[in-house]
Amino acid sequence: MSIRRLPETLVNRIAAGEVVERPASALKELIENALDAGARSIAVTLRQGGLEGIAVTDDGHGIARDEIALALERHATSKLPDEAIEQVRTLGFRGEALPSIGSVARLTLASRQAGGDGWRLVCDNGVIGPIEPAAMPPGTRVEVDGLFERIPARRKFLRSPRSEYAACLDIVRRLAMARQDVAFVFEHDGRRVLSLPGGQEREDRVAQLIDRELADNHVIIALEREGVSLAGVASLPTFHRGSADHQYLFVNGRPVRDRLLVGAVRGAYADFIARDRHPVMALFLSVPVEEVDVNVHPAKTEVRFRDPAFMRGMIVSGLRRALDEAGMRVANRADASSTELWQREAIPAFEAASPQPDWPARSAGGAYGGVPLFGDRQARFSGFAPSGRAEPAPVHVAAEPREFPLGIARGQVARTYIVAEADDGLILVDQHAAHERLVLERMRRALADGAVARQALLLPEVVELDEPACDRIEGRIVELAELGLEIERFGPSAMLVRAAPAMLGLSDVTGLVRDLADDLAALGDATSLKGRLDLVAATMACHGSVRAGRVLSVTEMNALLREMEVTPHSGQCNHGRPTWIKLAHGDIEKLFGRH
Amino acid sequence: MKATIERATLLKSLGHVQSVVERRNTIPILSNVLIDASGDGTIKLMATDLDLQIVENVQAQVEVPGATTVSAHTLFDIARKLPEGSQVRLEAADGKMLVQAGRARFNLQTLPRDDFPIIAEGPLPTSFELPAAALVQIIDKTRFAISTEETRYYLNGIFLHVAEDPAPVLKAAATDGHRLARVTVARPDGAEGMPDIIIPRKCIAELRKLLDEVDGSVRIDLSPTKVRFDLGNAVLTSKLIDGTFPDYSRVIPTGNDKLLKIDPRSFEEGVDRVATIATEKTRAVKVAVEKDKITLSVTSPENGTAAEEVPGDYAATPIEIGFNARYLLDILGQIEGDSVEVHLADAAAPTLIREDEKAPALYVLMPMRV
Repeated sequence: MSIRRLPETLVNRIAAGEVVERPASALKELIENALDAGARSIAVTLRQGGLEGIAVTDDGHGIARDEIALALERHATSKLPDEAIEQVRTLGFRGEALPSIGSVARLTLASRQAGGDGWRLVCDNGVIGPIEPAAMPPGTRVEVDGLFERIPARRKFLRSPRSEYAACLDIVRRLAMARQDVAFVFEHDGRRVLSLPGGQEREDRVAQLIDRELADNHVIIALEREGVSLAGVASLPTFHRGSADHQYLFVNGRPVRDRLLVGAVRGAYADFIARDRHPVMALFLSVPVEEVDVNVHPAKTEVRFRDPAFMRGMIVSGLRRALDEAGMRVANRADASSTELWQREAIPAFEAASPQPDWPARSAGGAYGGVPLFGDRQARFSGFAPSGRAEPAPVHVAAEPREFPLGIARGQVARTYIVAEADDGLILVDQHAAHERLVLERMRRALADGAVARQALLLPEVVELDEPACDRIEGRIVELAELGLEIERFGPSAMLVRAAPAMLGLSDVTGLVRDLADDLAALGDATSLKGRLDLVAATMACHGSVRAGRVLSVTEMNALLREMEVTPHSGQCNHGRPTWIKLAHGDIEKLFGRH
Repeated sequence: MKATIERATLLKSLGHVQSVVERRNTIPILSNVLIDASGDGTIKLMATDLDLQIVENVQAQVEVPGATTVSAHTLFDIARKLPEGSQVRLEAADGKMLVQAGRARFNLQTLPRDDFPIIAEGPLPTSFELPAAALVQIIDKTRFAISTEETRYYLNGIFLHVAEDPAPVLKAAATDGHRLARVTVARPDGAEGMPDIIIPRKCIAELRKLLDEVDGSVRIDLSPTKVRFDLGNAVLTSKLIDGTFPDYSRVIPTGNDKLLKIDPRSFEEGVDRVATIATEKTRAVKVAVEKDKITLSVTSPENGTAAEEVPGDYAATPIEIGFNARYLLDILGQIEGDSVEVHLADAAAPTLIREDEKAPALYVLMPMRV
């Protein structure tokens, strides 16, 4: 076999392997082109998950007639006016997308510049046809039909239309999130999936794309430091999901996937959320172009930062600051479903032949449904009536609930929940969760004041780890010492522990260091050491706090509410559950059908 | 089997035996005590957890020799509640054992004695006798330092070894990585060439209970894997911890030149008093030593501060050092005399504590850095 130069069509097909692997990647290239063309509105139409056809129409500046053919050549682009690839400001720049797609599908490119005529060119699996006139509004329309139809090997590796559709939707979502100024319409098999008006506020766009409830449960992030700015929307700690799928990072408007984000988010939310829950967020980093390299991979989903630690710090402190400002806010509205719960359970109660056996457990719903009842049913309810107490509030606190965000305590239910009246609604507080959080915050402040006490080890512990793990730990020696762990390098693949945090007592130092090494590798942060210290503090906090089941006087309840108002992060317990919820006046009115 | 035994005798022996039996067992017979009545008028009670085995002989009137096993905790509870001074009749037949005292009758389920596991001792080549008082001293002065941390299992016991120092001695040491306690006694005859052994914590605890009733001496037989303590009526056999105890002699400081002499009682009481305000988890007490004046202080971010001055003899340069109050109290509690020597070097180095040069016990304590 002699060496030969490959024909152009084959080269394009090989390149297509990198850029176009499935309909979603072709769609991504097309939408990015539209955005780079300055479009104000973009319409995407998909047939059969994009397997049969993709069409992207924009109202951008269009392509001139004599450039349409050139656009289908490899490495032809308008996006790199000079040689400066480090200075890329557009989403695309490689000039590969259209020829790559054209070599594996039937591509129709139609474009009209404002004030000019429209022209169309068809490229059928690498064979470019003649240029024809086309009737269309200004902008560009690209249609891709029968992707990989002539390449059965590729076609076989595609998934079902449904999962290809899901991937396409994810792409549209990410790009639409990045550009809330552009209107998006997304249709699949004739059904309109997304319809996003242009010029939205960022938080509205993000909430609309991720979860509507985020609209009421988010914090806005804004931080600027050394020319880098971070903006975005993140969920309150009480609003979380089971997977980290809903965490989006955009660098200069480009959706990217980066492990950096996962670690930084974990670090920022460490004290607020259980380890297996994940907040929802979309973060937008604006970085000077020379600080970031986007030319890592043809698909451009990865970027390299010149200073990843700084970016990580930005994200952590940005999130932290926003969460700190959020203070005691929580996802505090009783959400729609729980309001419905009240109604659903209350109504059958009037018709039921016998009271539902589980009523006493749901005292709130039961009490509501129980009011109009009489006779023996009344007697049944009296069984749990003593658990709810409404002491006459002393005169001096009876007035002015408007002064306090969490209102004035009106009583206690089931010796567990405080009922308070605020200016704008009814507030329920879980007394144990709330007090536990207060004690923990107090303890943490005390800990933060002094350094962590270290118990020196009589027999220094040698922990054997692999070399990169040792390197990572060695890089954090100073930070770890502040947390009470005195550690030093002991040969190429071992660490020597000289002192451990006294709080941890006689615990397994080797295990701790191993966990730390894993943390540093996965998250870039010493989470497990902080985690263990917090766990000790949290256990102590749990023991030192008011338990559920204790009767509180109105004065005690009010004192708790006032302290919650001034303590940061008092809105959620140590596991991310809310410590209080609010039933707004509107919600109560809805329950009685008065709205 | 048919036998009659005095309630007090039975109760005392069962008290020893039942504490070896774990409360929860996956192997049912391990919950049981083996009762073996022999023709010569003794009953042998035996219990095991597979690592530790106790055999105790008691006097009884045996009519028909025989053996069976019944639940140790149940039999102990029964014996405890029987009236004082009563005679307990034990009769085993057909998978049941009848326990009878006065008008009370209990019919207990049994398991066959042949299933009862017995620790194979193997040859125990090293053999010596140690006065019970010496053994008590060794245990009492070191056991507080035994580690409970399971991952360093080799620290979960008392380390026994012999050495030429230059006189031949037997040394016992225990450490949990934060403090170390060591007792040195003269080497008993027969202990020369003894292998280094680590006696597990549970064996130590049981042995210590039995020693309260022993006046004379205890015969110790051991091999590198097993040890047997013969206390006359009772024999305790235990597996040893299969591990290497760290070379602890390296951590005993020899160059600590700052010597503080102090009354252990006032020191102990002072530490205990100021530690009142320390928080539960980090009970750090600061010891500031100046010429003939020792100031103990504790600072708690939640509770406030406490300080107490304790008189003592000190002539070296002033030093400030922190300790875990509990560790300090543990050690001071072991000092019986009216003076204790504290050898200091600096705030980060191990501190040596002992009564005086001739005292058999010495303690090393690592400081806490605050």
